[in-house]
Amino acid sequence: MAAVEPTLTLRGDGRVRRRRIANRVAEVLATVAALAAVAVLGIVVWSVAKRGAGALSWGFLTHDLPIPFSGQSGGIAPLIVGSAILVGLAAAIALPVGVCIAVFLEEFARPAVRAGIQLAVDLLNGLPSIIIGVFVFGLLVYGHPQNGWAGSIGLAIVMLPLVTRATQEVLRLVPRSQREGALALGASRWRTVLGITLPSALGGILTGTVLAVARAAGETAPLLFVTSIYGRTIELNPSHALPNLPVQIFIWSESSDPEDHKRAWASALVLILFVLATSLIARLALARFRRRMG
Amino acid sequence: MASENVRVTFQEELDQLEASLQEEGSLVLRALRGSLNALAQRDLELADEVIAFDDEIDRHYLRIEQEVELLLARQTPVAGDLRLVLALLHINLHLERMADYCVTIAKLTKLVADVEADAALLQSLVEMGDRAEEMIRVSLDSFANRDLAGAESLVDLDELIDRSNRRFVERVVEIVAEPGLREWVLRMVIVSRTIERIGDHAVDIGEQTAYLLTAEFREFTDASHR
Amino acid sequence: MTQGVTMSPMRPVEVAERQDEAPSQAGDTVFDIQGLQASYGSNVAVKEVDLEIYRNMITAVIGPSGCGKSTFIRCLNRMNDEVPGFRHEGKILYHGVDLYGDGVEPVEVRRRIGMVFQKANPFPKSIYDNVAWAPRVLGLKKNLDERVEKALQSAALWDDVKDRLKRSALSLSGGQQQRLCIARAIAIEPEALLLDEPASALDPIATQRIEELMHELKRDYTIVIVTHNMQQAARVADRTAFFSLEVDDGSRAGVLVEYDETAKIFTAPSDKRTEDYVTGRFG
Repeated sequence: MAAVEPTLTLRGDGRVRRRRIANRVAEVLATVAALAAVAVLGIVVWSVAKRGAGALSWGFLTHDLPIPFSGQSGGIAPLIVGSAILVGLAAAIALPVGVCIAVFLEEFARPAVRAGIQLAVDLLNGLPSIIIGVFVFGLLVYGHPQNGWAGSIGLAIVMLPLVTRATQEVLRLVPRSQREGALALGASRWRTVLGITLPSALGGILTGTVLAVARAAGETAPLLFVTSIYGRTIELNPSHALPNLPVQIFIWSESSDPEDHKRAWASALVLILFVLATSLIARLALARFRRRMG
Repeated sequence: MASENVRVTFQEELDQLEASLQEEGSLVLRALRGSLNALAQRDLELADEVIAFDDEIDRHYLRIEQEVELLLARQTPVAGDLRLVLALLHINLHLERMADYCVTIAKLTKLVADVEADAALLQSLVEMGDRAEEMIRVSLDSFANRDLAGAESLVDLDELIDRSNRRFVERVVEIVAEPGLREWVLRMVIVSRTIERIGDHAVDIGEQTAYLLTAEFREFTDASHR
Repeated sequence: MTQGVTMSPMRPVEVAERQDEAPSQAGDTVFDIQGLQASYGSNVAVKEVDLEIYRNMITAVIGPSGCGKSTFIRCLNRMNDEVPGFRHEGKILYHGVDLYGDGVEPVEVRRRIGMVFQKANPFPKSIYDNVAWAPRVLGLKKNLDERVEKALQSAALWDDVKDRLKRSALSLSGGQQQRLCIARAIAIEPEALLLDEPASALDPIATQRIEELMHELKRDYTIVIVTHNMQQAARVADRTAFFSLEVDDGSRAGVLVEYDETAKIFTAPSDKRTEDYVTGRFG
């Protein structure tokens, strides 16, 4: 039988107590920092909501843009529709391209090639969106009228690295054993990707796209030069400049009409709520997907 | 590549089992020596002791049987280990039979207690018995030492016993006419046969040794067929 | 080291008589491995392997960890191609055709030589789709329902799942999932099946069922199984190959030590290394 110390109290000495205090201090600091981050988010949302909620109404969401200085209350329906079209087209471009790049990087690329393309994607991710805006302007709009296509392309460039990264991550989550199982059945590599790897990763890919959409919805710089001069009504044709939320918020905030300021706040609120909602839904879906993958 | 023994417990169990068997072997030798002495000296008390002693040998026999069964169930021996365990099982059986034969000799000794004996025949029986004793020793030693040549030499020793047995029967045929010796002689024929059987079992033990060493079971040339 | 083989099952008691038998005629050779050496980068995993694998038999590959058993078996269906840095020397003839010859497609190889892995890896699809996926992909679309049923029957899984073919394969137990993987492999009618420790992740009852299944499957398929469970090899295999590690100036590689009828390996092996391994004297 093991000997037991005669004065066993399990209470610990001074060193242990000091360590415990240090632990508590670290915990408290970390918690404060986390709360600070949450607080910043809360403050932003709160101030926007406070200033913008007043102007929010059903009419605000469904009417056309007001004639400036007319006293009309107006609405942001064209902005919502325009943003939807811009972002929708951008997603339609970025999603397939991004997924293809990710599949190539994860499933087919040889190490040297892979490193190079991965670097390019990462650099694209870090590219300031104003540069993207200027680039798209110079390439597609200079000497031509503004149009929604250019805006969508600019947004697609912003979305591309996000979609690619998210897809890469979920492709990595698909266990190697799945691929091995498919290959062992005599399927070729690309059949395996199409039939087994991608379908398994689908949930994660869509979620990544939604997150990219949430990001793109708020990007102003790529749209500033290419689709900022537009009418007051709903525009559906991407060959014309499309009204959109971020640019209009910018324009209204520069205006001297205090009504415009209110509209800017309200639009900002709409934008924030959209981004928050989609981000939240996307992250919940991703968590569920991760659980399912095991 | 180091053949480090990973199954230490198993090896210990095997060694212990073999030691038990050798112990049983020495008990059988004692039983045989006792029965031969009882026969030569017409010692009835000794004969009774030999008969009682068989219980102890039976206990050993049962214990070894059980140990083998447990070993097979728990350790699933293969290859050389399996042959060893099977050899132990068979040798156990042969030892038990030999012990039974010693009892037979003792019982027959008792039966002829009051009967006149032929000294010359008695002497040749004792010599046969000595040879059988030697055979048991050789069989157990060659098993312990894994000595194939030793095991195979048992055939020749058995040949000697067989010749003694035949000479014994010839002599018996000569004197069976004398009525006074008839009962004694008839009993002693059985004793002679019994000793010869002990020798056969010793040869069988040698065959087990050969099986263990060569992985082939082979009947040594059986002297009784000539 | 290879012997001609009789098609009748070996009974151990006949070991004593075998010296007198005339050499038996060779069964059909399915794999003829000649001088195989397989390495990953500069590490030689296995070398100097010469053996033949015969039709409709179960051949077991046993040996201590790291002796190259898995590497060896993965050479037989070119799964090692997927590992960067894999190189091989020597030949693996499958019905006389070198599996690594010019112009040979790994996809064609794997269509004929199936593999089941240590841990069951069913696709996150329905049970039906798991079995039907490969036939569809390979263009075997006719009578798909029958093909699926036949495969599940052969894998002794049909009765368990016939009423729930549309349910997810992940709802099955571990043993059932492994049998599903077997069904999946045989649905494309391969000639040979390679099983890499198929029961090591399963409980004893599930293991037993897989072993029974193998006895039935060998009527139609040639089976090679890697197992670290010697008793399993003793129970199921007709022939057993023992690989061991050889340490040679600091580098370690697996070598084939002995390849013979299972009965002989487990009653009277020729090589002391084999004897030491099967009796557990060295691990």
